[in-house]
Amino acid sequence: MNINVVGCGLAGLSAAIKASELGASVSLISPNYSETSQSVMAMGGINAALNTKGENDSIENHYADTINGGCEINNPKAVFKLTNDAPKIIGWLEKLGVSFTRDNDGNVDLRYFGGQKYARTAYAGARTGKQLVTTLTSHCRKKEARGQVKRYVGWRFLSLIIKNHQCLGLIAINENTSEIRAFKGNVILASGGLNKLFGKTSGSVLNDGYATSKAFMQGVTLANLEMIQFHPTTIKTTNKRILITEAARGEGGKLFVNRDGKPWYFMKEWYPEFGELMPRDVVSRGIYKASNAGADEVYLDITHLDEHTIKVKLDEVYNICMKYLNLNPIYEPIPIFPGVHYFMGGIKTDENHKTNIEGLFAAGECSCQYHGANRLGGNSLLGAIHGGCIAAQNAYSTNIDTNESFIRKSLENEQKLFDSWRDGDEKNIVEAENELSDIMNASMGMYRNFDDLDNALQKLNVLKNMKIDSAGNYYDHVKINSLFVLASACIKTAIERKESRGAHQRSDYPETDENYQKTTCINFDGQIKISFEGLDD
Amino acid sequence: MTEITVKIKIDGEFKRFSYDGDLNISVTTLLEKLGGIEYSCSCLQGLCGSCAMVINSQPKLACQTFLSDEIMIHEYKLITIEPLSKFPVINDLKVDKSKLYDDLLECEQWIESDSKMNYDEIDFEYEMSLCLMCGCCVEACPNYDGNDFVGTPIAVSASKLISQETDSNHLKILKKKYKDKFYPHCVKSIACEDVCPMEIQTQRAISKMNKKAVWKLWQLIDRD
Ligand SMILES: Cc1cc2nc3c(=O)[nH]c(=O)nc-3n(C[C@H](O)[C@H](O)[C@H](O)COP(=O)(O)OP(=O)(O)OC[C@H]3O[C@@H](n4cnc5c(N)ncnc54)[C@H](O)[C@@H]3O)c2cc1C
Ligand code: SF4
Ligand code: SF4
Ligand code: FES
Repeated sequence: MNINVVGCGLAGLSAAIKASELGASVSLISPNYSETSQSVMAMGGINAALNTKGENDSIENHYADTINGGCEINNPKAVFKLTNDAPKIIGWLEKLGVSFTRDNDGNVDLRYFGGQKYARTAYAGARTGKQLVTTLTSHCRKKEARGQVKRYVGWRFLSLIIKNHQCLGLIAINENTSEIRAFKGNVILASGGLNKLFGKTSGSVLNDGYATSKAFMQGVTLANLEMIQFHPTTIKTTNKRILITEAARGEGGKLFVNRDGKPWYFMKEWYPEFGELMPRDVVSRGIYKASNAGADEVYLDITHLDEHTIKVKLDEVYNICMKYLNLNPIYEPIPIFPGVHYFMGGIKTDENHKTNIEGLFAAGECSCQYHGANRLGGNSLLGAIHGGCIAAQNAYSTNIDTNESFIRKSLENEQKLFDSWRDGDEKNIVEAENELSDIMNASMGMYRNFDDLDNALQKLNVLKNMKIDSAGNYYDHVKINSLFVLASACIKTAIERKESRGAHQRSDYPETDENYQKTTCINFDGQIKISFEGLDD
Repeated sequence: MTEITVKIKIDGEFKRFSYDGDLNISVTTLLEKLGGIEYSCSCLQGLCGSCAMVINSQPKLACQTFLSDEIMIHEYKLITIEPLSKFPVINDLKVDKSKLYDDLLECEQWIESDSKMNYDEIDFEYEMSLCLMCGCCVEACPNYDGNDFVGTPIAVSASKLISQETDSNHLKILKKKYKDKFYPHCVKSIACEDVCPMEIQTQRAISKMNKKAVWKLWQLIDRD
């Protein structure tokens, strides 16, 4: 059985490892090596109710917090599996050799993260994602050596091969040679978030969202695209907005603005119980309000923490501030503001990571099932690893007839498109990408309203009809044109959800409306179609 | 604002560009502003190693190298940027690092058993797991030429794996690969440690491996 995995971050790596363990022959397709995937950037940690702190934490609590944080539009069956499997996943990672930080009893140490009353976030120093990727990559290498996994580095997904609602494989292009080839067998998309829509986010520039947009245009159902997480604490640098991990607040960091010459700790005042550790959407909105929509500077203060905590447990925060702000957080508070960070929405799957197309699965940040309207910190590393494993199991037990002649024909068609494409001359691609991200940033921010969203759609329509000069790059050419469609779909979901919930806040519909306690489903048949469906339909 | 000259090695020859603007920017931001030059990047914050290149003769991560910190800019209003020289160039500043990965595979850098828990060594194992595979070390190494010598990343990786592995056969392989493919080539010049952007103590890794893989084997051979 062939299984093709697109993307080699934690979701792709886990899928490749699990599928090969089951006996599949895996192709792992990505432009990059795992060491440069966004997963390495995660610092804070990975959630599991290990209950080693004598706090009576439980899987039920983890489940409840996740659903609560997601404002009750998560897929409950999927969250049930996720939270139930979390302790086993940590056990598996320990066995593989992840250097988790330990507490005095030798247990995997746990820290506090937002939206959770209990210490539930396992971590490895200040580089949890990196430590996980190093270990899983090494494990995957063993499979490569045995011929069970073959890496295709330098390759980008171009399109799915779909016949009668079944996925027969995919077509990919080599970035360096422009070779185009077909990969037959089941497909697991693990291609990460839709970062490119917003220009630069806190994450990797490799995650352009193209795979999601193309799959969508080929009939794959997406969900909850309006749910875009703004991380409360990002700093402005000349590279991009860089994230300051939630662990800084978990360790005791406080948020304030200056009022009448004195620091005002608004989160403590507004939410005495959780304070800075409310779910991210709430903290981001708090910052927005306390700063008069960004007019006043907001600070993250860790100066009261001891130097050891800052330099060891939060060494990445220390390094980032010193390197990119020339500011020493031991002595000075850090100026922050919310920035685009995570896409809760994406390719819709059920709890088995199946999409609406048989033989096609999705896992990790490109997919949608666990996080509802707002993801809890520490749940996405968990979701990526869990999702990769579950997708692999289900892909392995799904048999699709191979139709060689159809696959050949699909490849020929793609090759024809490649041979005949021409660059446009109306706008160069850098300008087009900048305009796209300007439109998205202006309309899909923390607070949305109909007028801005409608205006954005109209601007997008103009952009969509332009002939883009992609500087001779075929992948860029197909990418930008399908990102326009994906951007329109995002905006339309934001228009249709006429309520405020989690990351989706409408200033013209400020209340939560029970009628929308549903999944936003987005389909494409030449037109973008939006509907609201039951949570585990 | 100061006007500076930017020399970029493209297809083996230096091309000159000029830049007039804020010097408080990283080299990746500079390349972005100049436009039309191919290079690798992903995280833009020193976490992924993609953007390693030779900047004013030093291998560095471009996204965390600021123009304002470069002495050449202060002294001569000049910056030179070259692709890493120890790897084949794909285009402009983008290089093919697959040799590093092939060597990890060839040297069997994984464990066969469940990982042994070494409470005293967690910090060491953590540090060795930080390797970005950026290639700065092999660029600086006087002996690495992309042929038989596998370079620092193998020593770093193996130094962690040999304390986690309990499968005695594979442990032997890990040691033997190191002994054959790393040890005879390394002259302990420490150049790799000086340039490592993660500040990994590569010499600790090398010493540990020498002690465990070479020294013990010599003893065994003596006994034979
Ligand atoms: C700064 C930062 C800190 C974070 N901290 C935490 C944390 O502490 N805890 C937590 O739980 N989560 C955290 N997250 C979120 C978490 O890191 C990600 O959501 C998670 O790693 C996603 O994993 P993934 O495997 O889905 O995707 P990624 O790791 O993003 O990998 C996607 C892969 O797909 C590839 N790809 C993209 N397009 C294509 C294409 N067309 N063809 C082929 N391949 C393609 C990419 O190159 C890449 O290899 C953080 C994120 C950021 C940015
Ligand atoms: S040892 Fe350091 S310099 Fe060498 S590849 Fe790893 S991170 Fe880069
Ligand atoms: S110590 Fe010197 S010779 Fe040995 S790997 Fe490092 S740079 Fe190369
Ligand atoms: S782009 Fe990741 S280290 Fe520079």
